[in-house]
Amino acid sequence: MSLAWFARRLILTAYTIIVVSMLVFAITQILPADAAQSLLGENATPESLAALRSKLGLGDPTWLQYARWARHVFIGDFGISMRTSQPVGPEMLAALSRSLLLAVSSILVTLVVAVPLGVLAALRQGKLADTGVSLVAYFGVSLPEFVTATLLALLLADTLHWLPATGYVSPLEDFGSGILHLALPVLTVSVILIAHVMRMMRSEMLDVLKSDYIRAARLKGLPERTVLFRHALRNALLPVVTIIALDVGYLLGGVIVIEEIFAIPGIGRALMIAITTRDLPSIQAGALIMAATYALTNTLADLAYAVLDKRIRYD
Amino acid sequence: MTPLLAIQNYTLDYATSAGPVRVLHDISLQIAPGEVLGLVGESGSGKSSLAWALMRHLPDNAREVAGSLRLGDIDLQRLGPKELTRIRGRRLGMVFQDPSTSLNPTLTIGTQITEALIQHRDLKPREADALAVDLLGHVDLHDPAAIMRRYPHEISGGEKQRVIIATAFGCRPDVILFDEPTTALDVISGARILELFARLRAETGVAALYISHDLALVTRVADRVAVLKHGRLVEQAPATEIFRAPRHADTRALVEAVPRPERRLVHDRPSGVVLLAASDIDVHYGNAGLFRKAAPPATKKIGLDVCAGEILGLVGESGSGKSSMARALTGLARFSGRITFDDRVIHGARDMNAAYRRDVQIVFQHPDSSLNPRHKVDQILSRPLKLYGGDAADIPRLLDQVRLPASYAGRWPHQLSGGEKQRVAIARAFAARPKLVICDEITAPLDVSVQAQIIELLLALRAETGTAFLFITHDLNLIRQIAHRIAVMRRGEVVDLLPVENFDMDHVHPYTRELMAASPVPVG
Repeated sequence: MSLAWFARRLILTAYTIIVVSMLVFAITQILPADAAQSLLGENATPESLAALRSKLGLGDPTWLQYARWARHVFIGDFGISMRTSQPVGPEMLAALSRSLLLAVSSILVTLVVAVPLGVLAALRQGKLADTGVSLVAYFGVSLPEFVTATLLALLLADTLHWLPATGYVSPLEDFGSGILHLALPVLTVSVILIAHVMRMMRSEMLDVLKSDYIRAARLKGLPERTVLFRHALRNALLPVVTIIALDVGYLLGGVIVIEEIFAIPGIGRALMIAITTRDLPSIQAGALIMAATYALTNTLADLAYAVLDKRIRYD
Repeated sequence: MTPLLAIQNYTLDYATSAGPVRVLHDISLQIAPGEVLGLVGESGSGKSSLAWALMRHLPDNAREVAGSLRLGDIDLQRLGPKELTRIRGRRLGMVFQDPSTSLNPTLTIGTQITEALIQHRDLKPREADALAVDLLGHVDLHDPAAIMRRYPHEISGGEKQRVIIATAFGCRPDVILFDEPTTALDVISGARILELFARLRAETGVAALYISHDLALVTRVADRVAVLKHGRLVEQAPATEIFRAPRHADTRALVEAVPRPERRLVHDRPSGVVLLAASDIDVHYGNAGLFRKAAPPATKKIGLDVCAGEILGLVGESGSGKSSMARALTGLARFSGRITFDDRVIHGARDMNAAYRRDVQIVFQHPDSSLNPRHKVDQILSRPLKLYGGDAADIPRLLDQVRLPASYAGRWPHQLSGGEKQRVAIARAFAARPKLVICDEITAPLDVSVQAQIIELLLALRAETGTAFLFITHDLNLIRQIAHRIAVMRRGEVVDLLPVENFDMDHVHPYTRELMAASPVPVG
């Protein structure tokens, strides 16, 4: 992997984000909402509306409005929320940080559980452990997340009272309580991801174990431990990196349900509220931040891939 | 002298759903210290099974029915997993058939050689590094220190095989098993690997079991040769004798099958009427992109012509552009330049009309991937028959033409052997009654003996139909038996285009001479 490739990849990511920002802006233009009307309320006089419209530049050509918005976004200014009259940027980034905390914790839990389970299932192919693990995995993928969430909440919060059922506490303010509040949502998301990753891990591991270079490593007289961990696991993990990058997309879009159920003020929920209240700056900021996060995650996955597998040269 | 490796009355079955299948019948073989035993047989003769049995890497359905396998005073069959890691590599090394798949793609060459040295010679990582650099230099790799840091995809097939050989020898085993170590390499790299083997053997005095389907090759490296047929040992003799005086009929068949340039199989002369003339053919793959330069051309404005009824050979090592030429002539690759066929000028794949596509057919190297696995043989053959105006009633005739029973029409490709699949592929090409058939390395994946049968078939078809052939191969001995003229390609250019009689003369291109030196005539 060369520096030139890295630079090219970053340029492409930036390009993606710019195109997305245009789309986001275009969509909010079509929405039947008038910024001036929203700001001044139902009882505004036509004169004050017209005055505000010209002050906001709403009569300008679309490209000029976009350019003005984009210039502000570039320096981190997403505008003022029409609902709360607070700057949108910091609010959305705080929401994003909560969602990312949920996503990253879920992925860590998933990796810690799913990778060993997948390897185990592959090594015991066709035996009891394999069947058991696969069965649990099928359960995980086949239940919709709101069912999983409800079942887990019923069991762990309502019946056993081990965990708080809903709410969010920042781990920076109160670490213990933060972790406890995060546990249920992380568990719910992980159940689904573990099923994905485990099944991928199992089939990749089986493929790799059948390959000539694993046979060669065994016949070189290397201990089984070395064969598995140095030779097999690394190659089997490669496609799992892709799956995880795709799952981040699911986590950012799909956690709206989870955030709703467990009352976590994340980016999904913030965007939902923005849409229902027609808060244009918040919608624009939320959509753009989500898209940018997704694009960056995929770039990171490509980078990880290139580091793990030297055959991959994106040139 | 007590044998180092002793196989005694060894009998092996594979359990299948249809009951046990015997793959090795009562095999007894011995290798003395410092001796090289060649093991020759067609695919399916059980020679690889014997290697896996020795390495204790048999599939789960293998059943060892009788006999013993001993290395010195060790009973190999009794070893547990722990003890095996002290035998494999350290006492019993192995060099594999396909070096490109035998190295882990995500680990550096250095890691893959030193891990074995650390394991078997109790070295510290730094000592292992130093030794590995030594070993790589010793197998004639340039700049071993740089090779250590590279990944397998960054070195050539021949270099990979050198790395594997260096690893095997570096652990100083008593015996090394070589499983067709040159089959996956081009002629010149293969010949150099054989030279390397001979040198290392003389230096180290290691004993070896050298497995191959090519009797001629084995006689050059082995002291003694054992011939295996359908799991039975049919003959064992000193290497110097077996080629000259094969005692057993199966051995004789193997000897006969070895291509020798002096034994011409084609005696007629072509008409001299040019059937296809190609000039300035330039094949490019891929386009230049926003961030990407275009790939260099696979062929550089080359030309050749084929006369009616002629066999034109096209030889060169892998990557020389031979297959690209075949793809251009059949319209499978985009090209620039011109082709004149039957007085019609063609400037690109789009210019090729139905008549051209009927008259020029191609047979590919791998019948496994060129036959649709979801189509039965009759379906595979009926497509071209219908397309070119025949009908399904011709299928038995076509199968008969390629010496396959008519009942094969109802079979699936996976029920056929490699040679049979290639016959179906040939039948498919001949369904269109072509004037020119392009054979792209069609015998490369086959055994020597099956190759001989396929060549015989092609020549019979030519006698029947008068078809011309463009025969692409890397086997110079083979092509000198059948071609009227031979074109030699290297790096996208035709360096030589000679009548076959002129090949022994002095004015051939140095590269052609190198190719000839790499394909020596068998001893005896």
